[in-house]
Amino acid sequence: MSNQGNNRVPEQIQEKGVAVFRPELRENEELERFRVSVKNGNALARTKTEIALYAAVCLAILLVPVFLQDAFLLNKYARYLVFGMLAVSLSLSWGYAGILNLGQAMTFGIGSYCMAMMLKLKTIPVHTGADGLPDFMVWNNVTELPWFWTPFYSPLFGVLAGILLPAGVAALLGWFVFKGRVTGVYAAIITLAAMVVVQLVIIDQQAFTGGFNGITDLGQFDVAGFTFDAYGSSSYYLVAICLTVTLFLALAITKSKAGLIVQAIRDQEDRVRFFGYDVALYKIFIFSVSAAIAGLAGMLYTVVMEFASPTFLGVPLSLSVVIWVAVGGRQSLLGAMLGALIVTGVQGALSESETFLDTWTLIMGLLFVLVVLFLPQGIAGAFASLARRFERQRPAPKQAQHAEPIANGREIESTR
Amino acid sequence: MTTENQLVVENASVSFSGFRAVSDLCLKVRAGELRCLIGPNGAGKTTALDLICGKTRLSGGEIVFKGKPIHRLSEHAIARAGIGRKFQVPSVFRALSVRDNLHIGHSRKPGVLANLATFGQSGDTEDIERLAELVGLEDELDTPAAHLSHGQTQWLEIALILAQDPSLILMDEPTAGMTAQETKKTAQLFTRLGGRHTLIVVEHDMGFVRDIAQTISVMHQGKLLAEGSITDIESNQAVRDAYLGSGGIGHA
Repeated sequence: MSNQGNNRVPEQIQEKGVAVFRPELRENEELERFRVSVKNGNALARTKTEIALYAAVCLAILLVPVFLQDAFLLNKYARYLVFGMLAVSLSLSWGYAGILNLGQAMTFGIGSYCMAMMLKLKTIPVHTGADGLPDFMVWNNVTELPWFWTPFYSPLFGVLAGILLPAGVAALLGWFVFKGRVTGVYAAIITLAAMVVVQLVIIDQQAFTGGFNGITDLGQFDVAGFTFDAYGSSSYYLVAICLTVTLFLALAITKSKAGLIVQAIRDQEDRVRFFGYDVALYKIFIFSVSAAIAGLAGMLYTVVMEFASPTFLGVPLSLSVVIWVAVGGRQSLLGAMLGALIVTGVQGALSESETFLDTWTLIMGLLFVLVVLFLPQGIAGAFASLARRFERQRPAPKQAQHAEPIANGREIESTR
Repeated sequence: MTTENQLVVENASVSFSGFRAVSDLCLKVRAGELRCLIGPNGAGKTTALDLICGKTRLSGGEIVFKGKPIHRLSEHAIARAGIGRKFQVPSVFRALSVRDNLHIGHSRKPGVLANLATFGQSGDTEDIERLAELVGLEDELDTPAAHLSHGQTQWLEIALILAQDPSLILMDEPTAGMTAQETKKTAQLFTRLGGRHTLIVVEHDMGFVRDIAQTISVMHQGKLLAEGSITDIESNQAVRDAYLGSGGIGHA
């Protein structure tokens, strides 16, 4: 069979007809980029480059406080980094698994409230005495601490709940959605609806959640006696380190075979099923991991903002995440994160400048439309194709032999 | 080689909003056999494969594989029992490289946690390269599947099924869109697979069927019309009648 395989190349060239392999077509700049066949081992080299790139970006983020001592700016940048983490979580479920979660803020908000409940209980002895209640409960005539608040006296429980509760909620929601084989836009609507429900419950149960006001006037987060000041480099480092760990953890998941299967599910769900993989289980898994990361981001957001509010579970934030990820490139974790940093950064700069006070939302909208029109794979996708172009300019041995059937490549590109 | 029936389809029926796509279909396939399933358009051939692999649910009858009823299992459980399916429209993972495609086809460990701890090709490399060579894709291992030609895509899906290594392989029009040479190579490949794997092949290309078939089952209007060797089938009057509308069996 193997020597037959060798004979096949000239055979195929004849079969496919001259048009496909016409040399002048092969010189064509546009078509050139379909010639991507590479030698064995390049996948590994690409992974190494990717890891180096991720590490470089994370290092740059970690070095910011060395050059910047402004507490207000550090707090603002830490907030952007939290959004970056949220974008990474959506990239996992949307970009890799094809699950468009329009309610990503739901798990973000749950994480945020877990942290806020934990930090609120720290302030009780100061404000209302050792046996007291959180201030808003006193105003609402609550006489004793509700059962679901008590475990939050333990910081460890609070932190674990902030990660595991969102993951659990997502797993439950995912179980219904994915076992029921709800896909595409219907799944997206369910995630959006679920988020609105949770938000309404939080607003409605004012006595236990602080209602519209959220949970404010919190204690400071501390670990083993070390306090994280929201306006200081410590909180910035906390967020940056969590972001780095999350980014590499998510990268590891996408590089594992499970990550590969998840991407295959995005492409051809049925095909994966008939290989013996339990598609629903894989989707629930990636959905929960995404939720856990969003929950962690939510907790950090409370640390940085020093309050939790029902707007953290709002539709505007949820849709913003989708925009960040679309702009950055949903099929790249780093791209999605940078997308969040860029969009929120530009947004912050525009909304704070006097010139654009009235028009900044329009400008953001225009930016989004332009990116969707001209960079369908986002900024990361644009960089990837630039890199391919750059790679091509270096002479590669025997490249012509590895030329792709060009007409075929074009047809595929247009159907994407 | 055992001669007992590996797959038994007993009185299988299914209807789609009143239309009986398959009615009282009985099919017995021995282990290691290469069975061709032919019939005019709309005869229910693809539906029959769908029933076996669990894509469509039976409304009556039963399907027994290796002595166990499988028609109530979920699709992935049927696949794990040892049934592989190639679809009529070649379906591969277009965004992934040929290598990654084959890596996914290699599904002996289907669990989430096991695969979370699996990086790179980890031991499958040799298998994957051997398979790629078998279907002539050894130079395309790192090419995204979207960039393959139609014939290559067909072969990639066949290779995916071989990576899965099921004991029963269901092939739905594997040579559709292939050139004459490619079809011939596919016929050779299938003949080699017989014995180790059981194959059920749905095919319209009678030349191809002649090349590979040991036993042919003819379906017509959701029922089994005839079964036998190629000469039996070609001389069968009922089969000729059934095919009249679609231009005779020789050209079907």
